[in-house]
Amino acid sequence: METALQIMFAPFVACLTLVGIHGYFGIHVLKREIIFIDIAMAQIAALGGTLHLLFEPDVTVEHGIVAYTQEAYLIYIFSFAFVAVAALLFTFLKSEKLHVPLEALIGITFAVATTGAVIFIDKAAGGDVHVHEMLVGSILWVKWSQILKSFVVYSLIGVFHYWFRDKFLPISEDYNKAKQQGIKVKLWDFLFYLTLGIVVMHSVRIGGILVVFAFLIIPASISVLFTKKWSTRIIIAWFCGTIVTMLGLVFSWKMDVPSGPAVILFLGVFLLLALVVKSFGVVKPGTE
Amino acid sequence: MVENLIFLAAPITACVLLAGILGYFGNHILSRGIIFIDIALAQIVALGTMIGLLFGFAEGSVAVQIVSLIFTLIIVIFFALTKFEKQLIPQEAIIGIIYGLGLGIATLFAEYIPRGSNYISKTITGNILWCTWDEIIYAFLLFVVIGIVHIFLGKNFIKITDANDKFPFSPQKVRIMEIIFYVTFGIVVFKAVPIAGIFLVFILLIAPTSIATIFTNKWKYRFIWSWIIGIILSVGGMLISYQLDISNGPAIVCLMGISVFILAFAKIIFGKKKVLEKVTD
Repeated sequence: METALQIMFAPFVACLTLVGIHGYFGIHVLKREIIFIDIAMAQIAALGGTLHLLFEPDVTVEHGIVAYTQEAYLIYIFSFAFVAVAALLFTFLKSEKLHVPLEALIGITFAVATTGAVIFIDKAAGGDVHVHEMLVGSILWVKWSQILKSFVVYSLIGVFHYWFRDKFLPISEDYNKAKQQGIKVKLWDFLFYLTLGIVVMHSVRIGGILVVFAFLIIPASISVLFTKKWSTRIIIAWFCGTIVTMLGLVFSWKMDVPSGPAVILFLGVFLLLALVVKSFGVVKPGTE
Repeated sequence: MVENLIFLAAPITACVLLAGILGYFGNHILSRGIIFIDIALAQIVALGTMIGLLFGFAEGSVAVQIVSLIFTLIIVIFFALTKFEKQLIPQEAIIGIIYGLGLGIATLFAEYIPRGSNYISKTITGNILWCTWDEIIYAFLLFVVIGIVHIFLGKNFIKITDANDKFPFSPQKVRIMEIIFYVTFGIVVFKAVPIAGIFLVFILLIAPTSIATIFTNKWKYRFIWSWIIGIILSVGGMLISYQLDISNGPAIVCLMGISVFILAFAKIIFGKKKVLEKVTD
């Protein structure tokens, strides 16, 4: 049991940091209906990481994305630059002139980034691309240094979002109304996408896209069933996330199954429970 | 040049065929805002295949395909029933949850199937270059049947897609129409992804209609323009990929995607702001 605790402690703490930041961002993402932004951002960061091969051709590409998970500053800078460009892109593509939902353009960005990486790797390294590796990740082997670094980044971004909550929240609630109130929507939208992109860059290294995606969408989906109030929603999301992480990791240890999918599965179970609770009317929907 | 054309005849025909059926469905998918539905469905198809293998059926057998199709249709019908007049969780989020859970469970199952992880990503890598005429003819007949269903019921589907908060028909009728819509769409994805791969299907679904929608909001013109744009860009991408010797799927995806961005920015910069009334045509 002692070894179990030793091995599982780091993944547990890692999951909690993920729950912390994504429980909050999930509510934004759900309100804005840009569900797949995190997968798109991760893929864009990966494309940036892949393109850095142009400058360091010696690095071997095993999974097409391996380069991205290595601790190298050049890769980080490339990924960051791509995320920043994508943030700009999404900011300006949200236009009432288009009649095309932003989610569609995010999807197209995702497809272009993924297949672009495929073309590039085909040409450069002749390797095979396993999107799968990046999707699932392995939270079990997370290092404390990674957790600490991410925690610092998430905290800074969290404080930033809390400080300017009177900007970020109204825009996600109602873009046009926020604009009428005189908020500089373009600027704050850009900062929103940029901070989310930075969070995703770090999270994917820890947990893999899929776990991050689940932490983003499912707790926020559970909380929307019960209330509309931001603070309550965040607390519900954090509460569910923490319980699910514990259950998922214990389950994965006992049954000897991968921890990421186990956590996702329990998130699904929790959502189902929440729907049951909701449909039996145990809790009245919030009217705040 | 002539032998090139003969070599590319089958893939180009397949592209035109897929651009036709996916361009049609894409308009509904875009207007409903359920962009990632085909990626989630492809994942469910893969999971269904794994379930078939776990039942002990042979790889590639008809039995496995049937199990996979049945499983996919169950999930599709479940999804069709998640549309409500007052939508608390957006349907796109439900798609995300289905995708996440599907992939998560597939990863767990992969432990119990020899070379299991292959199946998870198998759907990602279809290659339209190697499609056969048999496949194309079979897909064509299937799409014709689905097309006929949509010719008869298309007006109803459009009314449901256009409705925002209020159902245009009685709840029962909406449910039945939704089930027919998503089951036919599920079958198309089930058939199209093994031929073309997940990203090509995705882009054929979303990009042509996005371009069309940038410039018009009338259903009739959106359909026609999606078909024209889808066919031109996919054939163009195919020829470019052949000339530059890059993979054809990714080439088409990038060409279409970048076209959307260029035209979207052109519209934002040069387009006049005007109030568009909602028109059903």
